[in-house]
Amino acid sequence: MGKDVFEVTINCIKLIVVFLMMVQAVPILVWLERRGSAFIQNRFGPNRVGPLGLVQLLADAVKFLFKEEFFPENGTKFLYYAAPVVALVPATLAYCAIPLGHPLQYGEYLFRLQGFDVNVGIVYVLGVSGLAAYAILLAGFGSGNKYSLLGALRASAQIISYELALGLSIVGIILLYGTFNLNEMVAMQQGPLSFSFRGHEILVSWLPNWGIFYQPLGFVLFFASIFAESNRLPFDLAEGEAELVAGFHVEYGGFKMLLFFIGEYGHMMVGSGLLATFYMGGYGIPYITNQALWQTFMDWTQDGQLAHILVSAATFAMFSFKLALCLWFFVQVRWTLPRFRYDQLMDLGWKTMLPWALFNVIATALFIFVAHG
Amino acid sequence: MISDAILFWILAFLSLSAGLTVVMIANPIYSALALVMTMVSVAGLFVTLGAYFLAGVQLIVYAGAVMVLFVMVLMLFDLKNEVYAFTQGLLTNVVKLGCLGLLAGLLAGTLVLSSYQSQEIQDKVVAAADQTKALGQLLFTQYLFGFEVLGILLLIVAIGAVALSRSRGGTHHV
Repeated sequence: MGKDVFEVTINCIKLIVVFLMMVQAVPILVWLERRGSAFIQNRFGPNRVGPLGLVQLLADAVKFLFKEEFFPENGTKFLYYAAPVVALVPATLAYCAIPLGHPLQYGEYLFRLQGFDVNVGIVYVLGVSGLAAYAILLAGFGSGNKYSLLGALRASAQIISYELALGLSIVGIILLYGTFNLNEMVAMQQGPLSFSFRGHEILVSWLPNWGIFYQPLGFVLFFASIFAESNRLPFDLAEGEAELVAGFHVEYGGFKMLLFFIGEYGHMMVGSGLLATFYMGGYGIPYITNQALWQTFMDWTQDGQLAHILVSAATFAMFSFKLALCLWFFVQVRWTLPRFRYDQLMDLGWKTMLPWALFNVIATALFIFVAHG
Repeated sequence: MISDAILFWILAFLSLSAGLTVVMIANPIYSALALVMTMVSVAGLFVTLGAYFLAGVQLIVYAGAVMVLFVMVLMLFDLKNEVYAFTQGLLTNVVKLGCLGLLAGLLAGTLVLSSYQSQEIQDKVVAAADQTKALGQLLFTQYLFGFEVLGILLLIVAIGAVALSRSRGGTHHV
């Protein structure tokens, strides 16, 4: 945690701040979602309640807080109440490991702008977010309702199926960077696009050195998989209103329902954060290395400490921008595409994405072998 | 490291109590969920030992994929007949006693062997950053044969599962 009281205190505060950041981003996302849907589908309410539709949030909050607390007749009490909490935990733990900005050098201390630095970052994030399926299963079973159970079974089958494509699409990235550590990955994506091919240095100065240009197929597969993992349209078979009423959370209301919401948005944020980290340079500012950025600020302010703080702030803003862009895309897709049929979903996962992900792994490995040979 | 010791006792208590719940509870769904708890706390124990990669893989493969399938299948079936058949009778008791004996032997063997080997293993501990690399190199050089055999075994199991699912029959005759 740190070598003296000051560092330990800051690190503890950091954990709380990252958690609050995730939870506080949810109202903004809900607002974005409702307003976006209202514009796209010509709905009346959400973009007319108060200035910019912001009062809709207040109305939602009041509704969630004052809903009657109830327990379904055939439910299992322990599982029913445990499920919303379990829904929140994996997303929070995973989000804590994503680097949000350039580590801040403050005097002799080095503070990382993330909840905690994990050496095997990717493995940790995948492992923790894989536990999200239990929240859905617990909710579906604990409610004692057949629609809930069917929704839960659908959702967990889908999550397991797409975890394969997700994991394999990341293998390409791991091969490319040769590390599991998310901070090191971001560090490797600085500056303009440059790599060595059989001893020749190749420099493409008009492109940033981002993973997406090395792994276009991996990017597409990863992008589709995180939609499936977070149970969003076009993969939200678990909630198919026409067939299942509302899926695994039929029997939940009020704040328990809200916890599931936060969990879902948390998974979107983890997915977007990983997408930005793997394929879009993470917190790095395109074309510029962090060292050059610090030098620029140093020339400008003539103060090393202030320049460090400014670098961290600028990279944090950059990461937030990339995250917001990905999240906005999530919302756009949700209100644009129709839902898949269940057999189409399974065919896409097992017969299309899995073989392509395997191909991507082999092609990447061969390319790296040739380029270094 | 006092914090490691505290963490170890908490995780050990969690994994042991969850493991006991797996075998003592009658409802198969609770049993499977307790097994998930056991696996997660064992992953935590791996972390306290510095085996981060192993902990992550334990979470991804066992807790995240295998047990989700188990829980799913258990929720799908009505297991009352099986529960009745497997909790009563002479044969079941013999099997239970046999398992208990095997477990006791395993525990005793581990305790005896660990006191011999612990020093030797501690000398071999690699720095955390290189662990994954060392693990991969061992798997693909020294243990290559075992690794490939396991892969083929899994392939056979997958084909067998498909073949079984296509044939009629099973415990529930309609």
